This record gives sequence, structure tokens and C-alpha cells, in this order.
Amino acid sequence: MTIRTDHVAGGALIALGIAVFVIGTDLPFGDVSAPGAGMMPKLMAGLLIAFSLLVMAAGRDSPPVTAIDWSDRGHAALLVLITGIAVALYQRLGFLITMSLLVFTLLVVVERRKVLPAASYAVALTVFAYWLFGIALKAPLERGLLWF
Amino acid sequence: MEAILESLALGFSVALRPDVLWFAFLGCIVGTLVGMLPGIGPLAGISILLPLTFGLDATRAIVMLAGIYYGSQYGGSTTSILLRIPGEAASVMTCIDGNAMAKKGRAGAALCIAAVGSFIAGTFGIVMLTLIAPPLAAFALRFGPPEYTALLTLGLIFLAYMSTSSLIRTLLMAALGLLLGTIGIDVMTGHFRFSFNIPELGDGIGIVPVAVGLFGLGELLSTPSRQVPKDIMKPRLRELLPTRQEWREASMPIARGSVLGFLIGIIPGSAHIIASFMSYAVERRVSRHPEEFGKGAVAGVAGPESANNSASTGAFVPMLALGIPTGPVTAVLIAALLIHGVPPGPTLVNDHPNVFWGFVASMYVGNLMLLALNLPLVGIFVNLLRIPYAYLYPLIIMFCVIGVYEVNHSIVDVWIMLIMGVLGYALKKFSFDPAPLVLGLVIAPIFEMSLRQSLIMSDGTWLIFVQRPIALILLILCVLLLALSFSSYLMQRRDWRTRLAEAEAGDRP
Repeated sequence: MTIRTDHVAGGALIALGIAVFVIGTDLPFGDVSAPGAGMMPKLMAGLLIAFSLLVMAAGRDSPPVTAIDWSDRGHAALLVLITGIAVALYQRLGFLITMSLLVFTLLVVVERRKVLPAASYAVALTVFAYWLFGIALKAPLERGLLWF
Repeated sequence: MEAILESLALGFSVALRPDVLWFAFLGCIVGTLVGMLPGIGPLAGISILLPLTFGLDATRAIVMLAGIYYGSQYGGSTTSILLRIPGEAASVMTCIDGNAMAKKGRAGAALCIAAVGSFIAGTFGIVMLTLIAPPLAAFALRFGPPEYTALLTLGLIFLAYMSTSSLIRTLLMAALGLLLGTIGIDVMTGHFRFSFNIPELGDGIGIVPVAVGLFGLGELLSTPSRQVPKDIMKPRLRELLPTRQEWREASMPIARGSVLGFLIGIIPGSAHIIASFMSYAVERRVSRHPEEFGKGAVAGVAGPESANNSASTGAFVPMLALGIPTGPVTAVLIAALLIHGVPPGPTLVNDHPNVFWGFVASMYVGNLMLLALNLPLVGIFVNLLRIPYAYLYPLIIMFCVIGVYEVNHSIVDVWIMLIMGVLGYALKKFSFDPAPLVLGLVIAPIFEMSLRQSLIMSDGTWLIFVQRPIALILLILCVLLLALSFSSYLMQRRDWRTRLAEAEAGDRP
């Protein structure tokens, strides 16, 4: 039997629906005249499972899961990893340092650009964003290690 | 009528203030750029730039964000016509004949027709919004929890019916959105739901991190660096004027597109995308020369461009009058109003007349601005397409992070955005449309509250939804739509939705 995209997607969403029921066991469902905090999540998890089953049932028309083009996965993974590191460091290092490093790393590691132009662009862009958000719009940006 | 004119005068007194004009202008410029640049649509654009409005009052904020929205509809046509690249989804249909006109040396005329058509349709939409929204809001004051529950259910089913993917897939995504919307403190009982001891999750998952993640970051993840387009056409100012024959050919499609677009716009769904497709199909059907479509038919540019702009305005009717989003963009705009302490809905017209009428009047002004801006400056705007994508997307990622963080100063929100980016990437791979998820997330609190209040009111009987006339009519409409949808499925009919899906995938309709 060929495993198809809708089988995989439906299966994943059914697992999510079941997880909601398991995690939400402590949430009271209440009764129809006095619905509890668990009613809506459980109703929605039930609907999620039901619709996922229907998607799986009609999944024979979807393409085989092997037909999905994952050629961009390396690029996507790098972007997520680099952005994730920047997010983790954001409050510690502050806006100016983190964002300069984020843009610089994306340009050099992902896009293979030359170091000097990448560094100049990263700093210029970050300073512009700092001016726009921090000074012109007075949005309080994270200072981090810097004093301003 | 007199009352509406008086209110509109109040609106213009707000919209013509220099500071409001300035933010309308900024919104139009940014919107045009957002519409032109592939990889960043109006939804991501508005979400990312939402923090720019935090220092503003509600009127200036909503004027600027709406300017981004309808400006993006204008901007999308430029890349469609000159490069056959739809800057955003609603411009897919314009690519076909707009680019064919450009290849025949009529790029300037195509741009002018698109801009004038958009202006006329946008203005028509605003006139209709002016006339319809206040009485609709007054009528909606009669709505209680059962009516709101039925209305939201109808909205979701309409969305699923109008969607280009299947009804079940759309409802599945909406259910996922509704489920995500239950995260946080239950306002009726105080229970923490699925917050995993993370205090920030007590307030629930915000619309901004989800929208930016799914539509901004998700798009970037699935778009590896692309080449800068070569040979970008730059029409000269004197080439912009269409011939008399072209004006004649454009006039009726603009009129039809305006009406059709507005009617589709007020219905939930990706209205501006559907409207442009429907308009293209209608124009080809009524044309005396259908064989010209695809080869540079003026009606193929005028109709869809007018329809998508009119639909964008139409979408504001349920948003402003009922407080209900018909699509993810209006959902983010509702979130923006809420952030500024202005709840949209039936009470908006009376409680915040400056915001409501100032916003409506600013749309008249904004449309005029876009017409004045887009044509003369098209040559400057297209230069932006020369910026290598490799330099552009780090900027977008930076704006995504700042945009999301600045909403609540919460790093948890930024992590949610990152997770949603990965989810958006996966949904794209598995051909799921994330728009219903965002919509589900936004309406989840209202839906849950109205459903539970209805059940408490009725002492536990579901019959309350059929005992009240308005709720009953809305539910009958739900059943009719479901029946229509299932009948097309059973008869395997290839209706307009299938053709739209094909068009979006890049095929000819």
C-alpha cells in the first residue's frame, strides 16, 4: 500500500487530537447546562480527529508521500536554527548585537556572501531598524549588553 | 442619509488632518511595496508592521494598516503585469492578460487600467461600506449569544465552501485554529488550559505570532533564494495612457468587477482572490472575443483588478459592523483595533465615531493617493525588484522577530512564531491552507463564550439555536451550504473552485 500525503497529515493531526484528550483529562467537561473549561477543547479535539479521519479516508487521491519535494529542507532548517539561536540570545545580548549577528550569519552561512559586505550590510540594516523602531517610533528595544 | 453624510463629514475632518494623511500615505507606500515583493503578502506585511502603530492612536493605526492592505492590492498588479510574478495571490489572474499586454508594448496602458480600475472599484466599495455598515451594525445589536454562535458557524462554513481546497480540509484547519484558541485561562472558570506552566501562555496564543509565523516565516522557509528577475520593464510616463478603444473595453469590466468584488468581499473566505478569479471567468464568458483572453485582453486586466480591490473593501463590512473577521487579514486588523483598546463590532459606530468614520473617510483619500502615487512612481517601485532576495529576507526575518516581540515584549511569542513558521512550512508541503487556522484562532474566544452562554441561557438545551429566528435562519444557511458542497463532491463536479485552485497552481483557467 502506498502511503500518501493525506494519510501522514491526517495521522499526525489525529495524534494531536488524542494528545489533547490525554493532556486535558484534568479539565472538567461540565454538562450541557453548565459547560466546563474542558468542553470546547475536547469538542474541537473530537472534530479534529473526525475531520482528520475523513481526510485520511479520501487520501487515496493525494500524491504519495515520497512525491513531496523536500529539496529546500536544508535551507529551511538553517533558517530555523539560526533564527532560533538569535531568539534564545535576544534578551541577553540585546537588539543591536543579536540582529547584526542574525543578518550577518544568514548572509554568510546560508547565502555564502563575502564577509565584509555581509558585515557592513548587517550593521547598516540593524542600525536603520534601531533608528526606525527605537528612536523614531519610541518602541523600547532590548538593550542587553549595551548601555543605550 | 443625512445622518450618514454628517458622519462622513466628521470622518473627513479626521482623515484630512495632516497627521492622519501622513499615516495613510505611509500605509499606501508600504502596502504597494508589500504587494510588489514576492514572498511577503499583505497579511505578513500587516502583522510584521503592527508594532509600528503602537505609538499611535487607534485612528492613525487602523488608517495606516488599512492603507497597507489596499495598497498591497495595487502593488500586486505591477509585478503581475511587468514580470508575470504575482506579488500576492489576488494578482494571479492579472498575470495572464496583463503580462500579455506588456509583451505587446502596452505595459503602461495595462498598469493605468489596473490602477484606474482599482481606484473606481475601491471607491465603489467604500461608498457601499458607508451605506451598509452602519445599518448592519444597528441590526447586529439585536444579536445575543445564540445568534453570534450561529453567525460564527456560518462564517466558518462559508469559508470552507468558498475555499479552493476541500471543505473537510478547510474545516480541519479551522478546528485546529479553534483548538489553539482555547489555550490560556478559561475566562468563565479561571482554569489554566494547556499552558504547561508557562505564565505567558495564560493569556493564550496571540494572533500576531501565529500570522507572522504561518504567512511570513513559513513563506520564507519554503522559498530558497531566487534569482533577481532580468530585463525589468520600466514603462515611461507618456506610455501610461490607454487608447480610447482600450478605455471603452475596460469600462464595463471595471463596473462588473466592482459590484461582483464587493458582493464576494463581504462573504468569509479569501475574498479578493476569489473575486479576481470570478471576475476573469465572467469577463471571458460575456466577451464577444473570448479567444483574446490570454493574449492581452483589456477586460482580463480591468475586471480582476477592480474585483480584488472592491472585495478588499467589502471585507471591512462584517469586520466593522459585526466585529467578525472574514479572512486572516481582517482578523489581524481586529487584533490591531483591540490592542488599541477599540473593540470592533456593532457598538463601534456609536462608541468610537472618530475611529469608524475617520477610517472610512481615509479610505476615500487613500484610494486617491494610490492612484496619484502608483502611476508616476511605477518606474521607481520596480527598481526594488532588483534587490537580491538573499539581502531581502534577512530583513524580513528581523522585522518578524521585532514585530512579534514588541507586541507583548514576550520572548515566548517569538518562539511561538518560530514554531508556527515550521508548521506553515509543513502545511504547505502537505497542501493545507493555513488561513482558516488563523481565522479559527481569532474567533475561538467569541465562539466559545457565545456557545457556552447560549447553553447556560437555555438551561442545557441545544434547541435554543432553532427557537430564535435569526439563529435559525443562519443555521439553515449553514445546512444549505453544506448540502451544496456535498452535492458537488458526490457529483464530482468541476466547479469554479477547482478552476481557481488550478489557476493558483499556475495553470490557465
